[in-house]
Amino acid sequence: MKKVIKFSRVFLPMVVMSSALIALGLVGYFVKGLNLGIDFQAGLIEKVRLAPTAFELTYAGEKSVTVSLSSSQIDLVSTGVASDNQTFSFPFAQYATVGDLSSALASVPGVSVVTLAPASAPAKGIFANADGQARLSAEAYRLHYLPADAAAIGADQVRAAISSFPEASVQAIGAPADRLFQIRLSDDGADSEASKTLRTNLNAALAAAFGADNVAVVSADFVGSRFSKSLASQAFWLVAATLVLIWVYCAIRFRWDFAVGGVLAIVHDALIMVAFIVWTRMQFNSTTIAAILTILGYSINDTVVIFDRIRENMRLRPELNITEILDLSQTEILGRTIITTVTTMLAVLSLYVFTTGDMKDFALALLVGMTSGVYSTIYIASAFISFASRFRKDKGISKEKAKPVRLAEEQV
Amino acid sequence: MSKRSRFALILVVLAVCFAFLWPSIKWYFLTPKEDQALALGSREKIKDFSHNMAVADLKTLMDDARADRQGAVDARYATLAKEAARNYRAAKKPVPETWTARALAAAFSNEADALAVLENGYRNRILAIKKTQSSAVKLGLDLSGGMSIIIKADLDAAAATQKDASANAEAFRADAMAQAMETLNSRIDQFGLSEPVIRQQGEDRIYIEMPGAADSDRINSIIMGKGMLAFHMVDSDATAAFESFYRMNPTRTFDAEYKLLDPSIIPADTMVLGSYRKDDYGLDERIGFLVVKREPGLEGKHIQSAETRRDEMGRPVVNFVLDGEGSKIFAELTTNNVKKSMAIVSDGKIKSHAIINEPIPSGQVQLSGFSAEEGENIKAVLRTAWLNVPLQLENQQVIGASMGEESIRQGLWAVTVGLAAVFVFMLLYYRGAGVNAIVAQVLNFYIMFSVLSALKLTLSLSSIAGMILTIGMAVDANVVIFERIKDELRLKKGRAASIAAGFDHAFWAIMDSNITTFIAAAFLSQLGTGSIKGFAYSLAIGVVSSVFTALVVSHLIFDFGTDTLKSKRMSISWRVK
Repeated sequence: MKKVIKFSRVFLPMVVMSSALIALGLVGYFVKGLNLGIDFQAGLIEKVRLAPTAFELTYAGEKSVTVSLSSSQIDLVSTGVASDNQTFSFPFAQYATVGDLSSALASVPGVSVVTLAPASAPAKGIFANADGQARLSAEAYRLHYLPADAAAIGADQVRAAISSFPEASVQAIGAPADRLFQIRLSDDGADSEASKTLRTNLNAALAAAFGADNVAVVSADFVGSRFSKSLASQAFWLVAATLVLIWVYCAIRFRWDFAVGGVLAIVHDALIMVAFIVWTRMQFNSTTIAAILTILGYSINDTVVIFDRIRENMRLRPELNITEILDLSQTEILGRTIITTVTTMLAVLSLYVFTTGDMKDFALALLVGMTSGVYSTIYIASAFISFASRFRKDKGISKEKAKPVRLAEEQV
Repeated sequence: MSKRSRFALILVVLAVCFAFLWPSIKWYFLTPKEDQALALGSREKIKDFSHNMAVADLKTLMDDARADRQGAVDARYATLAKEAARNYRAAKKPVPETWTARALAAAFSNEADALAVLENGYRNRILAIKKTQSSAVKLGLDLSGGMSIIIKADLDAAAATQKDASANAEAFRADAMAQAMETLNSRIDQFGLSEPVIRQQGEDRIYIEMPGAADSDRINSIIMGKGMLAFHMVDSDATAAFESFYRMNPTRTFDAEYKLLDPSIIPADTMVLGSYRKDDYGLDERIGFLVVKREPGLEGKHIQSAETRRDEMGRPVVNFVLDGEGSKIFAELTTNNVKKSMAIVSDGKIKSHAIINEPIPSGQVQLSGFSAEEGENIKAVLRTAWLNVPLQLENQQVIGASMGEESIRQGLWAVTVGLAAVFVFMLLYYRGAGVNAIVAQVLNFYIMFSVLSALKLTLSLSSIAGMILTIGMAVDANVVIFERIKDELRLKKGRAASIAAGFDHAFWAIMDSNITTFIAAAFLSQLGTGSIKGFAYSLAIGVVSSVFTALVVSHLIFDFGTDTLKSKRMSISWRVK
């Protein structure tokens, strides 16, 4: 038999530490507030890349010609109401320069190409303006490229360009040579057409400063003020409902004090995550809420596995008192706790490493929550059970309820 | 359950999952891009395409028949040949062995029948592809790029404009919402985008999704623009001239948005509009084109009310009332255009047209000559003139296709590396049993993906994140079981006994822990935005499938080792043997 680790000895200091961390989080929340993301603070977030236009495509004719661009090739799909439907593919391996590519594209019936980039610029890496229509028409569809020798543009230059929006926040993403920026404008809800006016004015200001050909919208996100309010209250009620339902389930399957311990543990994890989010100034948005809700689900999973073992040990080792049972169960299950956490963390770590933006924040919040989840399972849930047992007549060792429902044994 | 029935269960699950996945495989890997584009086009496009193809095919067939060309006809006449064979049998004539053009043509008493068969053949082929697409996994906007919009219909403001407040408020709101949906549907349809999604969210919100890059300014102005209802005079001479031109040049008349390629074929002060009626599904179906005056004869804003009724002969009629100014304009218009046709145009579609029988000076107009159902439709159209539901844009997201592709790349990397890391870890830690866990996880991934596709959920970066997380968590069920088996092995039990006891002891721990996680995932899926939903759904599906793979698949693999391979020992740890 393995040596039983006395987890229970440090229950008190651990609870004090957790409380301190949570208190710190709350202080941060009241002093600094949350760094509210677009979901909760009405406004516009636009990502733009200041990159020159490689070429422009226009189309005149009876077909519907759509452009689809991937990292390895560009396809023009031409369909109409007659039999001559066709896909024209131009792999960059074959058409390596903008010059080759644009002359090849011009061979598609009805398509005309205006090349603005030097013909020798590489074709690979061209990208489309998100604010264009992929179905070609008389209006120019612009494809941009980032020249290898492009001068770096700093966030300050962008800020100066859009000085007509004094409250705008500009953030450079990646290296200055990438020329990728995230611009954020807030919307006070006074203008009912804010979505349109904010974007039009922003794009006009950027175009005036850097030239209309040199601004490529990568993505844009507008959230009106009413929408953000409904999301916040919805999130709150969902969390509350989740907690209640988990409590009810655990109370039925285990005991009410186990259920309270479990719910306390996951509330603890959520608060620790909030503390982390507050102090790292991570953006608080719907993705972050998703991370917190996920941890509720993940951490309870962990906790329930331990409850199951505690219940079993109560039956198998009636001679032990509640603290000994807790220590024994924790020790027995420690291997599983660590391995499960390691595997899940490996998966989330890969998410953290390979993604960017919101998803990266999401993964980071999950990593924090998981760490807290393991910790709370061992210390918070058990500490509460041990604490609550002092007030129980049976000192926490209930025998009548300690019969785990059994799977039929005949399959052995 | 016996081993055999467990094995059968697994096979059934795998087969069902494959059936779920099949449409996706077919759509993404086996359908050419131009067929995809056709299938994603509007129903109007599909109809025109099938018609034109059928006309061309029939012409070739008839030419060949006249020239009495020998030899079997092309494979594209297969559907026609099938129908022809039926006609031959019905006429008690021997069915020819090879279908020559003449034999085929002879099977049909008139060309229109053959045309209908050919047209149906083409249409069914495209519709089948469309159906495949609708049951294939779709990429979310964050992966495909595109635009999503949430619009709030201000029903309170719409209600405030109503004169009689006594009317049923509930019914009015539902009506107004239905009208707003209808208007948006029709406008977006006109835009000719591929597979737009429009659905109502809650009581008063409308969600619109347009995959692929889209010009947001243009879409905004189309969606948010005020509805336009007007009466236009029909130019019947120009209509006749246009029709004959269109018959000669069915494929070279319009561009992709049904704008004339050569505007000079009609008088400069006119325009060509499609004339529509509701089909059996309540969708607009184009029945032809009319050339109408560009300037409206009367704008819809003058209409004050409209109602359906039956005249003294019991025929359905629509009555509407004009305001003072409208009455004057309409009186003059009708006086000058007696016996001419007038079209009701709403958002660029002709909804109905009627002949002016006599001058109407009073501003009380009666339309007649249609079915009761059509009458209701006309009333609904007229109502848009004064029932204006203000729309507010609450949320708009534009994602560039290049960003979507970057996200796909990131997601793939994260999945691959995440899975690999988990697998390597399991193999190193659990040795032989790790293989078992890996098989279970691979199946888990497969099941998760196919259920996601069966439920027609979109695949977004957040649902990929959900899958990755689920893989990490799903291993947990295996870990709980393996640790239990190790416990039993430490007690010096044999392989079979340890496995049986391990699974038995782990059962409720796994069920309880996963049910609680499922509860959290289920609530998460109710939270507003799409990205969280995708994540929650994959988490919930993953929880269920991981319980299945851990308890059934993994158990069977162990039993297979014990009973069939006669293994006596267990490779599950470096220490415990």
